Amino acid sequence: MRVEYINPFVEAAFDILKEVLGDDVQRGELYLKSTSKSVMGVAAFVGLAGNVEGRVLFDMSMETALAIASEMNGETLTVLDDLGKATITELANMITAQAVTKLHDLGFVFDLTPPAIFTGENMEITDNEVEALIVPVITKQGKIEINVAVRERT
Amino acid sequence: MNAVIENNETFVNKNLENINFKMVAFSLAGKDYSIDIMKIREISKAKHFTYVPNSLPYVKGVYNLRGDIISIIDLRTMFNLPTVSSDGKQSDEIIILRLEDYLLGVIVDSIDKVVGIESSTIQPPHPIFGDINIKFIQGVVEKDQRLYIILDVERIFGQEALIDEVAPAEYHAPERFSEDKVEEISMGFIAETLRTFSKFNVTDLNNRWVDKRFDEWKTLRGNSSEALQLHSEADSDEFLSKFYSSDTGRFWSDDYRNSVGTLFESNMAGAIRIWNPGCGKGYETYSLAALLSERYKDASIKIWANDKDLMSISNAPNLIIDKQNLPEYMDKFVIPVNDKFQFGQELKDIILFEYHDITHPNTFPEVDIIIARDILSFLSYSDQLRMIAEFREKLKSGGLLLIGENENIYSDDWKMVKSSNITAYKKV
Repeated sequence: MRVEYINPFVEAAFDILKEVLGDDVQRGELYLKSTSKSVMGVAAFVGLAGNVEGRVLFDMSMETALAIASEMNGETLTVLDDLGKATITELANMITAQAVTKLHDLGFVFDLTPPAIFTGENMEITDNEVEALIVPVITKQGKIEINVAVRERT
Repeated sequence: MNAVIENNETFVNKNLENINFKMVAFSLAGKDYSIDIMKIREISKAKHFTYVPNSLPYVKGVYNLRGDIISIIDLRTMFNLPTVSSDGKQSDEIIILRLEDYLLGVIVDSIDKVVGIESSTIQPPHPIFGDINIKFIQGVVEKDQRLYIILDVERIFGQEALIDEVAPAEYHAPERFSEDKVEEISMGFIAETLRTFSKFNVTDLNNRWVDKRFDEWKTLRGNSSEALQLHSEADSDEFLSKFYSSDTGRFWSDDYRNSVGTLFESNMAGAIRIWNPGCGKGYETYSLAALLSERYKDASIKIWANDKDLMSISNAPNLIIDKQNLPEYMDKFVIPVNDKFQFGQELKDIILFEYHDITHPNTFPEVDIIIARDILSFLSYSDQLRMIAEFREKLKSGGLLLIGENENIYSDDWKMVKSSNITAYKKV
């Protein structure tokens, strides 16, 4: 992945999560991954288009998703209902949008697709021939793995 | 009475210890070793072995064991321990091993006894264990205040037979080593520690350099196997310090730049595509970009530069350079920023720096040139083969591959081209 793309995504994730969840947000070590990856339980997905092609996946466990949705809504959710799903989707959208804005300022033009959310157990995501940057973020509510796969259109 | 009961209890407790591993203990140069009893067929005493000409130095000869002809190996010679001269009158103590498909006798100093232990008390060997290569040691165990080193006989003797069949390319010992087992063991140990400490894999790609370096190393360190071994990452780095190609981690010198330049076709035009994996901090890539953009003014040049070390590559797109590190040929490509310099858009537009691991899928079109200096040696043997195949696939026909100065590819798929001290490979 192009080096210039890394920071905007990391910063956006960090800034937004801090803003909505409070200061207790830590960043794990970044790494690259290319094989298929198991999904923890709730995955929010935003596609990227424009000069590039790719996608951003926000992966977390059901407990983390519930805790985050509860925190953001100011009420305790026990099941991931429409409100909970909408909240997680919105969070994915906020982070991606801010990253894309930062990238735009650097001269890279990206478009977003509307976010989608997947929930279920024992899911695995396989996208062939794609290398993803993994940004682990540890919050008080649990771990979120942001999985960014972007490549230049050639 | 009480004392008797107590004694009895300890006796019972002692018996409760779960003995599920028995080994034959023996001594060799004053140290206690042992071998799993299941691998041993019998223990014997013998002398006057039939000498076999032209065999390895540690092969004492062959012996007729009730009709079976078995080879006899001197463990002292094999492990590079000082040999005691025997007058030939005394019988040697021999352990007859039953390996997967043959019998083998090993001479030891003296056989001690059978020791029973609990297999869970066996501890893994320490990475640096005296004179014997760690992979030959199954573990260490303490029993009655004595420390036994358990030898992995399948590995020691099995491997000798396998070395040519199974792993011909993973460090293929050159001919002369087979005459001298001591060196082979030291060399094998070095190959192993280079892999552990520096992820450097000794294979066909680089073993010429490693052999040469090993000779240098001997003059540097002395001949004792202890001094030769690499004990730490620092040792390993020092061993490899001469491995890296010229002008690694800095801008290319005029000489190097000229040598590389003469390798390139003079008539490249249109779109020139280059792949530069393992670009590190980017000095190499900028040197290359400057060279190409001067030589091929009308061409559209694109360099894909990648590295899997995020710390190195993250500053590459906006590299800041001190005046004293800036070669003259770069002057026209940089712009001053405070009292330092940065590259202008001209070179930046040519290069695409990517955080990328080349063992993952490489998704870009065919290229004219690949510059991958000193990176293949740091991949596993199978990845080395895979990457060389992938380089070939990604290159246009007649395309040029530049690898490290101390790396060599021997294959009919590639034609060697030379320019002063640089060797490159043309896709045939």
